[in-house]
Parts: sequence; structure tokens; C-alpha cells
Amino acid sequence: MHTSKHWLGAGLIALAGTAGAAAPSNEDLQKQIQALQQAVDALKQQLQAKTNEAAAAPAAVAAATDAEPVEVATKQDIDGIRADLENYKYDQQRNRDTKTALTKRALTLAGTVQVRASSQSQQTTSGTTATAEPRHTTFDVPSVLLNLSGSLFKDYSEGKNLDYKIGFSYAKNVNSGSVLATVAPNGSQLNLTDAYLVYSFFPTVAGLEEPKLTATFGQQQIPFGLEAQAAEELRPVINSAQFVNASGVGNRQIGLILRGDYDPYVDYGFNYRAPLIEYALGIVNGSSTNKLDDNGDQDYLARLAFTLPVDYNSWLRELKFGASYYKGTKNLVATPTIGAGAGTATLRATGKSDRYGVDIYYNHDPIGFTYEQVEGRDDLLINTTQAATTRKGREVSSRGQTFTGFYTWGQQWVKSYKGQAKYDDWWPTSYQAFVRWDKWDPNLDVGKDDTTIYTLGLNVFFAETTKLQVNLNQYHYGNPVLKTNNELLAQFQYGF
Amino acid sequence: MKKIAVLFASAIVAFSGLAGLAHAEDKPVEIRVAYSGAGTGGRPLSSGTIVATAHLRGLLEQEFKADGIKVKWSFFPGAGPATNEAFANKLVDFAYHGDLPLVVGRATGLKHKILLSLGRFGNTYFMVPSDSEAKTLADLKGKRIATFKGTAGQLTLNRVLEKYGFTEKDFKVISMDGDTAKAALATKDIDGYITTPFDLEARGIAKRLLEIKRDPKVTSVGTFWVSEEFEAKYPQIVQRVVTTLVKEAQWDSDEKNRDALFKLWGQAGSTPYSDYVKTWAGYTLKERNSPLLDDYYVASLKKAVDEAKRFRLTRSNVDINGWLEPKYLNQALKDLKLENYWQANDADGNVKK
Repeated sequence: MHTSKHWLGAGLIALAGTAGAAAPSNEDLQKQIQALQQAVDALKQQLQAKTNEAAAAPAAVAAATDAEPVEVATKQDIDGIRADLENYKYDQQRNRDTKTALTKRALTLAGTVQVRASSQSQQTTSGTTATAEPRHTTFDVPSVLLNLSGSLFKDYSEGKNLDYKIGFSYAKNVNSGSVLATVAPNGSQLNLTDAYLVYSFFPTVAGLEEPKLTATFGQQQIPFGLEAQAAEELRPVINSAQFVNASGVGNRQIGLILRGDYDPYVDYGFNYRAPLIEYALGIVNGSSTNKLDDNGDQDYLARLAFTLPVDYNSWLRELKFGASYYKGTKNLVATPTIGAGAGTATLRATGKSDRYGVDIYYNHDPIGFTYEQVEGRDDLLINTTQAATTRKGREVSSRGQTFTGFYTWGQQWVKSYKGQAKYDDWWPTSYQAFVRWDKWDPNLDVGKDDTTIYTLGLNVFFAETTKLQVNLNQYHYGNPVLKTNNELLAQFQYGF
Repeated sequence: MKKIAVLFASAIVAFSGLAGLAHAEDKPVEIRVAYSGAGTGGRPLSSGTIVATAHLRGLLEQEFKADGIKVKWSFFPGAGPATNEAFANKLVDFAYHGDLPLVVGRATGLKHKILLSLGRFGNTYFMVPSDSEAKTLADLKGKRIATFKGTAGQLTLNRVLEKYGFTEKDFKVISMDGDTAKAALATKDIDGYITTPFDLEARGIAKRLLEIKRDPKVTSVGTFWVSEEFEAKYPQIVQRVVTTLVKEAQWDSDEKNRDALFKLWGQAGSTPYSDYVKTWAGYTLKERNSPLLDDYYVASLKKAVDEAKRFRLTRSNVDINGWLEPKYLNQALKDLKLENYWQANDADGNVKK
């Protein structure tokens, strides 16, 4: 626009200049008109050029013509923001000092509680120290777990962290023979369950393709089979499979256990990781929780699992085969009825207490199944009532088998879906129906001593950490004297 | 007790039967749209594409309100791989995907039809911590570079590295989402990351190691697809979804809406408003928000397929024949009289003549 004004000015000056001079000739006037015409043409060309330029950069034009008026922050505005920021900082500090639980290191406090109602066809008095009339139904709080965990050293660059966990479990004083039950027959205890350190030898932040190796030192669950090493809150059935408690593989142990994997198959298109080989090796006391070793031998354990290396979208996804071995030593105690030491339990010898397990796991939403077989081999004294004998008899072989098949409606096990962004406390309500067959034979050489439990169940997941479980159990006993017992259990399991 | 057992079993069987009846109608009860990304702090919103804007402006909800069809959005902080997982479990009808997870999903058997192109071009910035002594990528050899593995960002990183003569093996490439990687730049736990630079520079925690301006060979194209099953069952619904999104693309391409668009997108927080203003400067909204499945889109997709295999990010081959379904887009352009609104690009990303 400035340039056009210059051209116009020049034209007018030229005209004014000629006006004061002698009367121009027609030729001069013609020239002046031509000059003016050229000036107008140039102005037109510039205007056209500007228009083209604007069309080529619509953003600039839009900004110049349509943008909202520019608002500039004033000093008062900035002072206001500063004041808000200072108030916020004060608030944060004051709340941290007075209304926040502080810990020396980062801490995650978590818990799991079960509240249950049960009904059974055969009446019972078990589970109470009171003088009781046999019952068919009862309400119960069977389990309360409290866990504290965190990191003692956090390796931000590679993730070779040193972590810890401490866990406590509530237990009722129901055993009338125990001191606690005598002192507080309706009381309870808080028993230490987990107490360990765990260190990652390999980087854990590099990506899914990196192998894992950790060492866990302290009291912990042992890597045997599937159900025994699943945390309580993750087990699908209200009652554990019989072999978990009967064979002892569900007992926590104190010791050192290495856990790792090798050659993980990674499908980054789905964030899916399936280690080809998972392994575990350990050495433990073998005397269960909160006890020193009760003999001169350590127990050893090993586990190896193989997962099919297939893409997430394959129907063979999460098909895993595992084998577990636990080499244990047990104390063989006899209470002789005759001779010296009669009536006193005395250690006579130590013997083996080994466990062998195989398992298959398949979980391809919406269907899945697990199968486990555990076999125990235990030495026994030939006759515990003999005087001072240390002779071992034929070993006792026990066997437990469990098959669980399940079908799911809902997105409980679709990691991405339940992890989707949400404003509110949303969770994908899911339903899981399952059937279980669970058999335990405590001595393969003795007939009619086995117990088989059939379970039909439904789990309803209606909040992130809460589920309603309904199980219908039917107990069949090899011993014909024992009557088949039907049991209906309903419980809420919630976590925090 | 036997009666209870029979009753209990019957209830489970009946329940399973009811679950299977959910879609036995002429029109869907709901339209499930997945978005490969989410707002900062796990908020269900996102930015940077016409689908994100359609969500923020509620266009699809308006379109289907009269039919009583609910539009159900899922925003995945786990990005493209999470969308694949959800789709593999039959939880998605439509989705926005970056190129790498789209290709990997297809390679492993996911069945979808490509409907629209979502976003193209732009600058690429490689950021390092503010006190980094690196002058070139070569100075970062053996050091930690972050990318969100399995997402389009990983393929972009590989293209940038290849452009300068490197591969992932020359560095320690670790996986982090965008927010984590930005925080890691601040704490110097990583040595490099590709992201928009301006908010990081304003806070003084990172600086540009290199900037690649408008290189269509480096940047990727986004994709909007529909499941083959949904498309076969409800083609008229697919057409309405596409037409609605093309309308949205027109709004997003109008320079009058530039500021309003960036303000909407800035709500997600992952890319601040000011970064949109600066990183989109020098580009028209039309060229970046083009929904066309033109030569550039097809060439970019083929290139992504080749690169995913060459960079060993997928194991299987992908054939793109029959993958694109442009009829819905063409119909929408015709119905809305927008056939010539967007300029098609040739395979190199130039305006097609």
C-alpha cells in the first residue's frame, strides 16, 4: 500500500509540476496520460500480487482478518497466577506434613479380604472352639491379607531394582490344642506370610524382548506348579485344590530362589510377551513359615515351563507346559509305646519328602483351562509304635490331580481394554463360569482313601478389586462310610 | 441340594445364551470406536486427527442419536498395540491406528478394511536433554533412545536412523510412552527421543539435536478402519460414519477454525496448544487433514509394510490388495460435494497434477 501511495504521489507531483509551466502541448499531455496509465497499471499489478500472496497463505490472511483480538496478560494477571501458585505450594506442603502417611521409602499398601456365607448338607462342628451344636450354615471371614511392598533401590536407568515385600495373614485361633486358642479361643492372630527382598539382575526397562532374572531371598511362595504359586487374590476357586495344602507345595518357605526366563517371544503389535522358557531354582529350609530349619538338610526346588512361541492372535496363544520338582527332607518321628522314652515323640531319622508336578495352562479369552498333577513320595518309619526303630518302611506315594475349565464374558482379562482411559471409577463387569474336578489320594497303596470334589462356580467381577464368587462343591469320598457332602459357598473377595 | 445344583447350572447356561444375543438386530446397539492414544493422565480424549476432533465435538453421537445407537469410545494409553489387542478380542468396530501397529495387526490375521487417511506430513524433531553434549546422532551411539515400541513412533525412529545411516542396533532403544519419555528427558534417564520440542524447550529440559522439515518419506500416515465383520453386517452405518468424519475433516481443514482446532486438541495435554501452533505453521490444515486414500497414502502404506519387515518389526508379509475400501469415502465426497476440496498427493507427497 505504501508503494502505491508513492506512485500516486509521484503522478500528482508530476501533474502539479506541469500545471505551473507553459501550456502543454497535446503530445505532452498524451505522454502524461500514458505515464499515469502506467502508474495505475503498476498499482493494479501490485494489488493482484498481494491478493495472490494472501490466497497462497490463507492462514496468514485468516489470522489477520478473522482471529480473535489479541489479549495480553497484564502484570496483575501474572501476580494473580503467582499468588495461586504460592497458595498451592503452601497447601501441598501443609497437607503432606499433616494429612499424609509418610514412609522412609516408597510403599504400596495393599490387602485382600474374603467374607463368606456357606451351607452344607452334612452337619458339622468344625472350625470353632466353642461347645457347639452341629450346624449346616455359617457366615465366616476366612482370609484377610495385608501386604506392604516397595523399592529399596530404584534403578531409573536400567530397572535393576532392589524391591521388598512384607505380608501378613489373619488366622483364627480355632485349634483347641494351641496355647492361643486356650488364651483367646475366639481371637485371631496376624501371621507373617511374606518377607523377602528381590533383586533384578537384568534390565527391566529395555523392552519386552529382554530376558528376566531375579533372586528372591526370604520367606515366599515357592515356584511349584500353577495354583500353589498364584497369589490368593488370583485363584479362581474359593477353596484351593486339595493337593496345595495336603502335599505342602502351597506352604511358603524361607530361602533363596532364582526365577527367570529365556528367549521371550515378543509380539509388539499387541504388547504380548511369551517367554519360550521360564525357569526357577531354589534352596529353602523346607520347614514352612516362620521356622528355622528343623534338620541338617536343605530342600531344593526347580521348575521349567515352556510356552508356545506364537503371535498374540494365534489360537495357540498362552499354551504353556510346565514341570516342577521339589526335593525335600522330613524328620521321621516316632512315639514308642514300650521301652525307654515310651510316650515321648522322638526323632528317629530323616527321610525324603519329594514332590513331582506337571501342569498345562491355556488361556485364550474367552475360554481356558488348567490341569495339574502332583505326586508326593514320602518316607515313613516302618512302625512308629515300635521302640527305638529307625527302619524305614515302603515309601508312601500320594497324588493330586486338578482340572479347571472356564468361560468368560466381559473384558476382565483383556489388558488393554481394562486399562483404557476413563474419568470415573470404571471397570469392565465380567463373568467367569467354571467347572473343576479335584482328586486327592493320600496313599496310592491304600484303597478307598481318596477324596474327589466337583465344583461348579461363577465369579462376578464388578469392580477393579472386588468379585463375588459362588461355588457349589460336591465331595465324594472313597471311604463308603463317609457320605457325599454338598456345599454351597458364596463370598465377596475385595482388595484395596 | 441337587435342585440347587441344577438351578445354578441352568442359570449359568441361560446367562451364556443371553450374552450371545446382543447383536441379533438390523442395526447395532452401539458403535465401538477405538482410539490409539489417550490424554495425559489417562483421560479419555485425544488430539491430532479428525477422529479426535469428532469425539471432542460429539459429531458421531449427534449423527446416531435419533437411531438410539450409542457411540462407545475407547481411548487406549497403550496406543496401537492396545487397539490390536482389543480388536483381536472382538471389542472394536472402528479404530484409528498408526502405520506400524496397523501393519503388524494385519500380518497376524486381523481383518479390517481401510476407510480413511488420518493425518499426514509435519516436521520431525529429535530431542536430547538440555545439557547433552551430542552434536549429531553419531554422538549418541550406544546410548539410550526411547520410543513407544510397537507404535508408529518406532517406525518413524527407524526411518530417521536409516536416513542418517544407523539402525536400532547402534543404540540402546528402550520402550516408553510419550509422557514417560518426556519425564525421562527431564531426569536425563534417556539420551534422545522424537517428540514436539516447544514445551520441552520452554521448560529448559531438552533441546533439538536435529529437525527434519517436511520429509514425506520420514513421516507416516494415520488410518481409520472398520472391522470386516461390521462392514459386511452394517454397510449403511459405515457410510454414515465415514460421511460424518468427512464433514469433520472439512471443518478441520478450514483455516477459519485453525485456532479453535488447536485449542480443542490442546485439551488432551499430550501435545500442548502452543506446540500445535508452531509445528503446524507452514502447513495448511487442508494438506495435513486430508482424508483421501490417494497415491501418497497407498505408497506410504506399502512403504510401511516393507519397512516393518526390513526393520524386523514383524515376521509375516502383508498384502495390501483388497485392504483399502474407498467406496464409502468416494460416496461421502460426492454427497457432500467435496470431490475437489482436498488436493490429492502423488506417491512422493507432492500435489498431484
